[in-house]
Amino acid sequence: MSTGNIKKVLFKPFLFILFLIPLFSVFIGAAEGGPCKDYGECDDFKYSLNDFESLQRGAATYINYCYGCHSLKYSRWGRVAKDLKIPEDIFFENLVFDKSIKPGDLMIGSMPAEESAKWFGVAPPDLTLVSRYKGDDWIYSYLRAYYEDSSKQYGVNNLVYPGTAMPNVLLALQGNQRLVCKDVPIIARNGGQKRDENGITITEEKCGFLEVENGTGKLSKEEFDSLIYDLTNFLVYVGEPAKATRERIGWYVVFYFLIFTALSSLLYREFHKDYNKH
Amino acid sequence: MTEIAGKLFTWINTRLPIANTFERHLSKHPVPSKVNFWYLFGALAAVTLIIQIVTGIWLIMPYSNTEEQAFSSIEYIMRDVDYGWVIRYMHTTGASLFFAVVYLHMFRGLLYGSYQKPKELVWIFGCTIYLAMMAEGFLGYVLPYGQMSYWGAQVIISLFGAIPYIGESLELWVRGDYYISGITVSRFFALHVVALPLVLIALVFLHLVALHEVGAGNPEGVDIEEHLDDDGVPLDSVPFFPYKVLNALVAIGVFMTVFSIIMFFFPEGGGYFIEMANFQEANPLVTPDHIAPVWYYAPFYTMLRAIPDPLGGLIVMAAAVAIFFIVPWLDRSNVASIRYKGIYSKIAITMFGVSFLTLGYLGTVGVTEVRKTMSVICTVMYFAYFLLMPIYTKYETTKEVPDRL
Repeated sequence: MSTGNIKKVLFKPFLFILFLIPLFSVFIGAAEGGPCKDYGECDDFKYSLNDFESLQRGAATYINYCYGCHSLKYSRWGRVAKDLKIPEDIFFENLVFDKSIKPGDLMIGSMPAEESAKWFGVAPPDLTLVSRYKGDDWIYSYLRAYYEDSSKQYGVNNLVYPGTAMPNVLLALQGNQRLVCKDVPIIARNGGQKRDENGITITEEKCGFLEVENGTGKLSKEEFDSLIYDLTNFLVYVGEPAKATRERIGWYVVFYFLIFTALSSLLYREFHKDYNKH
Repeated sequence: MTEIAGKLFTWINTRLPIANTFERHLSKHPVPSKVNFWYLFGALAAVTLIIQIVTGIWLIMPYSNTEEQAFSSIEYIMRDVDYGWVIRYMHTTGASLFFAVVYLHMFRGLLYGSYQKPKELVWIFGCTIYLAMMAEGFLGYVLPYGQMSYWGAQVIISLFGAIPYIGESLELWVRGDYYISGITVSRFFALHVVALPLVLIALVFLHLVALHEVGAGNPEGVDIEEHLDDDGVPLDSVPFFPYKVLNALVAIGVFMTVFSIIMFFFPEGGGYFIEMANFQEANPLVTPDHIAPVWYYAPFYTMLRAIPDPLGGLIVMAAAVAIFFIVPWLDRSNVASIRYKGIYSKIAITMFGVSFLTLGYLGTVGVTEVRKTMSVICTVMYFAYFLLMPIYTKYETTKEVPDRL
């Protein structure tokens, strides 16, 4: 074997090992705690900005339950009505309680920041952009992760945001959610459930499960989840009102540039044929 | 009609060298006939620069450079200005892709020795453009006045404080205030929209003038000037216009497709192009959990963090950028292209690429003990590529470069 060949043989594994370094560093990065803290992985949220009924329900929930404390100060009343396809008269009659408000006004909220800081310890933040800095998965998980905790000021705590200053405003709808312990099947090493010699599943007690006390809430679990879905969907909309338009016209722009690329490469080929002849 | 147009053209042309310039720099400007895709990123960088300038002008119109309104004026652009979001996302996507394209353009230079004699000045102007871009990008990132704007600026400006004797006064002078405030925002605005774009345009002009003087390179490292036809035109060349222009047009089509996919479907780039924390208004009282630079500064940020001493970190980081300037004198090889260089050059450039990417990744995540060790190793690998270059390029066996393309 010539020295050139030896070099080639040695060179390839060497390159291979080198490229493992970035992979390795990605791997060691996997151990970080997620944004949903004690809740574990955030629940997956898929927005649907073309589902106007969902957005309308979400807007109604927001204005009835959240807007009292949380402004949407970059958003305008009339724009929300228009984008969500709510006729302006119905919108203003049913969802805008201060009759001096005009469609072009910003949704600046009604609670004085200084006073509210005294009441809650911190002023309730503006939520126009919450879906952009926290993410929709986070909001969807957070609003469903309250549990009873008598050591806290409002008697509740949150798995996603431990020690949150916000009371569970939707408690009457959701009911009293508690952290409970349950008997769960032990998972064997092969991934299946462990069973004893009689074929009965062996269980162990695990804690930290969220469970709503029966009959304490107005809504069932499914109804409540769908209420939070609509609310989160609305917050995704309000975080970026142009998002649905953006994703719609994006297809046309991409399509245009694909045609552009195709035509310009045909032109390029044609010119090169001509050049090579001479 | 055509007669009048012809007369008008002659009138102008006798007063302004239109035809000459067009011939010299476009229709008769010879460029190597065979190049690969690596040679297209320069044109793409020019396209991105134009996008940045045009969208930038339109962003200035509704933007407000005051502490109270900077953040909300961005939301005003995103919501109330007609198609303001298009302009803004073009600018943010453009910023990231400008760096991406320039990094690839620079890597091409290292691969094919585009800095070698007589192209040293082309290379140096290019390095200066990169330096100006880094400043421009940093200044621009502060303008939306979000949490990452504020705290990123805090970290970067405090670097000046590490310089002995003059550090603290320099820091104060740059910031214009005892902490980052509206004064900082408005001076950064002036620098971002007037001073640095002027510098960038001037440098790009010089980069191109120098390039057209010495001629473009090719992946073989062949000097096309050695074989000329009867008219003195290199045999292995094609005129820039229309052949290379059409080639670039195809590249622009592909690039703009990628650009629009990002801009319309992933404008935040997964938190790498617009960081999530930057959707919160700057708050001097609350530090974000995790301050990370935008991806294009990440490799240098990692080097800064790898060195425990602030001044040492600053020196290493500055050296990592400055070292590009002396590459033409570090390379002692008798060939230009990596295709004809020896095994050591190939290993070295691979190590460089790997270390740069790893440093980039490490800069966007939090610090752990293992990562700290990795960043030191990669910093050493990064510098080894440059500092050992005079040795490995001189003593390795190179292959014979062909005569023609």
